[in-house]
Amino acid sequence: MNKFGSTRRGFLKAMGQVSLGMLVNGSIVMRTLAQTKDPMMQHDYTGWENFHREQWSWDKKTRGTHLVNCTGSCPHFVYTRNGVVMREEQSKDIPKLNGVPEYNPRGCNKGECAVDYQYGPHRIKYPLIRVGERGEGKWRRVSWDEALEYVANGIVDTIKNDASDCISVFTPVPAVAPVSFAAGHRFASFIGGHTHTFFDWYADHPTGQTQVQGLQGDTCETADWYNGRTILMWGANSASTRIPDAHFLQEAVLNGSKMYVISPDFNSTATKADVFVPIKPGTDAALALSMVHVIVKEKLYDEHNLKEQTDLPFLIRTDTKMYLREADMVEGGSEEKFYTWDTKTKKPVLMKGSWGEEPEKRAKLQPGFMGRNTFVFPDGHLDLGDLDPALEGTFKVKLADGVKVNVQPVFEVYKPKLNEYTPENVSKITGVAPSVIIQMARDFAMNKPSMIITGGGTNHWYWSDTVLRAFILLCAVTGNEGYNGTGVNHYVGQWKPTPLLGVVKLSFPHSPKKHRFCQTTIWTYYHGNVYDAMENDGVDTAKYLREALETGQMPLYPQNGRDPKVFICYRGNWLNNAKGLDYVLRNLWPKMNLTVDMNFRMDSTALYSDVVLPSAHWYEKTDLSMTEEHTFIHMTEPAIAPLWESKPDWEIFALLSKKVGEVAKKKGFTKYFDEKFNIARDLTKLHDQQIDGGKLATDEQACQFILDNAPQTQGMTLDMIRKEGPQRFKSNWTSPMKEGVPYTPYQHFIMKKKPWPTLTGREQFYIDHPTFFELGVELPVYKAPVDADQYPLRFNTPHSRYSVHSTWKDNVLQQRLQRGGPMCEISPADAETRGIKDNDWVEVFNDHGRVVVRCKIRNGEQSGRVTMHHEPELYVDLLGGGNSQSPIPVRINPTALVGNYAHLKFKPNYYGPGGVQRDARVEIRRHTGSVTV
Amino acid sequence: MSNKMLTTPMRQLTYIVDLNKCIGCQTCTVACKKLWTTTPGQEFMYWRNVETTPGRGYPRDWQNKGGGYKNGMLQKDGHRPTLEEYGVPFEFDYAARLFEGKKGRVKPSPEPRWSPNWDEEQGVGEYPNNIFQYLPRMCNHCENPACLEACPNDAIYKRAEDGLNIVNLEKCKGAQDCIKACPYGKVYFNETDQKANKCIGCFPRIEKGVAPACVAQCVGRAMHVGFIDDVESSVYKLANVWKVAIPMHPEFGTKPNVLYIPPFVGPAMQDENGNMMMTQKMPLDVLQGLFGPEVGGVLAVLKAERAKKIAGQGSKLMDTMIGELSDSMMISPMT
Ligand code: SF4
Ligand code: SF4
Ligand code: SF4
Repeated sequence: MNKFGSTRRGFLKAMGQVSLGMLVNGSIVMRTLAQTKDPMMQHDYTGWENFHREQWSWDKKTRGTHLVNCTGSCPHFVYTRNGVVMREEQSKDIPKLNGVPEYNPRGCNKGECAVDYQYGPHRIKYPLIRVGERGEGKWRRVSWDEALEYVANGIVDTIKNDASDCISVFTPVPAVAPVSFAAGHRFASFIGGHTHTFFDWYADHPTGQTQVQGLQGDTCETADWYNGRTILMWGANSASTRIPDAHFLQEAVLNGSKMYVISPDFNSTATKADVFVPIKPGTDAALALSMVHVIVKEKLYDEHNLKEQTDLPFLIRTDTKMYLREADMVEGGSEEKFYTWDTKTKKPVLMKGSWGEEPEKRAKLQPGFMGRNTFVFPDGHLDLGDLDPALEGTFKVKLADGVKVNVQPVFEVYKPKLNEYTPENVSKITGVAPSVIIQMARDFAMNKPSMIITGGGTNHWYWSDTVLRAFILLCAVTGNEGYNGTGVNHYVGQWKPTPLLGVVKLSFPHSPKKHRFCQTTIWTYYHGNVYDAMENDGVDTAKYLREALETGQMPLYPQNGRDPKVFICYRGNWLNNAKGLDYVLRNLWPKMNLTVDMNFRMDSTALYSDVVLPSAHWYEKTDLSMTEEHTFIHMTEPAIAPLWESKPDWEIFALLSKKVGEVAKKKGFTKYFDEKFNIARDLTKLHDQQIDGGKLATDEQACQFILDNAPQTQGMTLDMIRKEGPQRFKSNWTSPMKEGVPYTPYQHFIMKKKPWPTLTGREQFYIDHPTFFELGVELPVYKAPVDADQYPLRFNTPHSRYSVHSTWKDNVLQQRLQRGGPMCEISPADAETRGIKDNDWVEVFNDHGRVVVRCKIRNGEQSGRVTMHHEPELYVDLLGGGNSQSPIPVRINPTALVGNYAHLKFKPNYYGPGGVQRDARVEIRRHTGSVTV
Repeated sequence: MSNKMLTTPMRQLTYIVDLNKCIGCQTCTVACKKLWTTTPGQEFMYWRNVETTPGRGYPRDWQNKGGGYKNGMLQKDGHRPTLEEYGVPFEFDYAARLFEGKKGRVKPSPEPRWSPNWDEEQGVGEYPNNIFQYLPRMCNHCENPACLEACPNDAIYKRAEDGLNIVNLEKCKGAQDCIKACPYGKVYFNETDQKANKCIGCFPRIEKGVAPACVAQCVGRAMHVGFIDDVESSVYKLANVWKVAIPMHPEFGTKPNVLYIPPFVGPAMQDENGNMMMTQKMPLDVLQGLFGPEVGGVLAVLKAERAKKIAGQGSKLMDTMIGELSDSMMISPMT
């Protein structure tokens, strides 16, 4: 007796769905059997079940995503009932690609409780002005008008009394929320302030990739992982930190791929591997080069790929160690054209496609992600034709001045170095058995396609550039590039705003050339007076930095020795995440006359700010989202109006620009001339400029502007995305987009044979620059991690399963699923020698700083290091000051200061020194002081 | 065996967890929590949880809590887990620190000593041969539901249309016998309204042809759900054709309808010089302890099928587990 109508209806509906299956699948017999069983409805179905049905109900469903630097870019639906956002769930409508599992349902444990930040205790509801000390959390609630006036006063006074370049705007990662990103950059562009690089500063930029390939970076989308037959997970732990994508690996393994996980600790991804390769931290380049050694020795290499796509056949002068240049051989020849030795004609022959060669059709655009635009060269430009370049041998050439010198191909120069990386030698460095190195090398060369998936584990080191160069070499020698399932695939940071042009036009209205880009690592090092202790490792950072700044190879803002005065931060937690945190708090932060934060939650940077402006949550505004991990663009939109007094970032900057104009008028200071860019600025016009006379008044208009202004998204509309779901990019960075085929990069070079955007026009492994010679890294070699801190344990600060950087570090549910607060992890052996027990408070310290944190003992941790998931907020459960960034100074690798070498030049987030997270050494001891604060 | 009439459902919904694909990400935990257990009294309960095994689990040491059936007899005297064994949910006073100038750090309260996922990834064994495995758990919607039989108030019933075991909140009088009887520790007591709470199998979603939250939202794509009589469903194929999906702790006697594909992928042991050995790290006895003696045969089938894939031949079993389309793994994932 079912007096509960909707059960019956729902039941019938479920059955209805099934019967469709019956017809299709012909399984009617089973179903009939099931149906004829007497249901014996003796239970008293009262209406009470409706209670649960109502829990899963909504009156509004909107699109949403999480505009945070997680690399996920997962499309969601947001469910609202009676004006209250109830929950979110993956929208599961990313179109499937061919021959690979679908992307759906992309999401993660944080994303499925993102709503917590709308209603949670961290929410900033009103504009606030600080009344206590910075960081104290004492505020005065003010009106928007008062708050904006306060900020505008600070801005106008600074421009008037100091200079516009004393104003600093920090907001990272345009791929997530490009409209929000653009709002502050646009504002800074119009007033002549400076904005910050972030990709490099976060230690995410693949410096070695820029050195070899002249690219900011490019990777396959993660669906292509499934196509790899040999997969090396190397310095990446996707099961914990690439949660939406990790399934492709498990699925590839079930599909017969062989997965190696190379990692110091036995991590979550390693539990799914065929082979776990326990490596000593920071020795990855040695392992990669030993694999190359084995491949060369066993002649498993792809000779054609090396000759056509790399500089390994390019000639080096044995006397100067420099490339043999056209200028050496011919009077008035180019410094940027190079030779190979043709084994047929036994003569040096100029190689096509190098930097000195101009394409017939000059490029209109110089995309920010590449050294120069080489796509305008014709297809097949690198084709060797009849040429057979020598890879080995020593040859004599006569220079223009008549002197005869010996020359050798790069490969010949490299061989003796490579010979040192025997599996036996490298086993001693890395701790990896020779048998494993050899097997891995053979698999990589023969069980193809093969790929490396890498991340912060190898990229956050001082010498990460040499690691990446070795990785790319491994792919180049085996021909594992340009094809589906191959390549070095680097995922750290959501760094790929694929429709770059649209974002650039919106963000830098005067053109990027007329915008002040500050290199954040240098800025922090310099203004924070950071002590890096690198003299202990034999590197004089100051010498290289001075040279880079004096010759203009790298920028420093403000110019002319001025101090920064105003810091405006939003969509990023700069202070909390700063390396050299203790130096920053002591030296840099006090230089600011005014710190402003726009945020929906009170993160550490907001807490330490003077003015805090409430901004709209991700489910309360319109913006776009994308990532390098897939090739679809999608959106978020308001499920509800911004809560309390919050406003979308786009609107906040529009209001601020208006207020700046008003204040400027009041102060009688409205016009100034920007000599650097030859721009006459007028603050009374600022608001009109910011919203382009009303054409860009709303964030929706700004979204559409981006879509309209980039070839990758032209023809798409917001409404299309809203109705049809995520849209696939129409074109992409270094490969064409093919319908239904996972994107994999470099096809313009490998298949279309256009020059790489490097000095030599090839994947360039030899860099004949004085800095590289001085440091002994003109070729990919293994450089031991920095040991400048004289402490016994390596300090490892990886990403966490339970947070995206600092976001969700304060989320109650995520804390409950862990141990209630931050932890560090050490091996049982290291704990025992120090008398540390599980859940003890410990001090992690060195000369740079100290953090007091609870300790977890983990069997899978290698002894000799301590791991602390990075960047807990400055107010969460630690003792004393600081956080995981306190023991980590800012360290600048001089190779990344080079800005005068063809493709190695400063462009924001393209090339410049990165943050170095992993080389710090520490000691750890049981904390014996008080634990109550 | 039962002292009560247990309805035979018309159809039985079956869940399968593929431990080869589960990455321990807790997305299912969070999805379930945000959908069903957000009211006061429910803070400590995770109808769906993911723990590390070997480990003490959630609630702590549940594998020894008792309950279930012995020789067909209901064991009513199982342990009723304490809040401390579940893990007292931490509270935080963020507002005071962030907006009212309270000094110091925001401390979790109570002082952390235990929590549902306290021993995450600790496992057993010595590096580099240590082991651990994620283990997602939920109500098993058993065929012999000990909870149902133990309830003195007839408040628990098996739904005819899908075989889900549900606590009728109107009938529940808070006797808590179900909590003692469930050997999996998957019934919880809500102190606020004095009722037993447990996984409802997301029946409101099932009724609309939508997969449960913990299945549809599983980003590891590790979950299957379907009616076991549907021969086209992946649950039928995995459980009844390939027979690779088996219950956890079959000896508890409740006949779960949540089944597990045991982990057969995973690295090999290494000798003291780092050379790879032939044996897998994950010891068979650990898996037998969880899934019973059957597990060895299941692993053999799985390995043989993957070997075909490695050799470049096809394997329908592996394809089913890969599940190129989510639709092939569940009643529709769409909402
Ligand atoms: S990975 Fe990022 S976008 Fe995806 S669900 Fe998690 S937080 Fe959201
Ligand atoms: S969501 Fe899926 S993969 Fe993640 S823990 Fe749950 S079952 Fe495992
Ligand atoms: S079926 Fe639904 S109620 Fe049960 S554990 Fe999964 S999400 Fe929770």
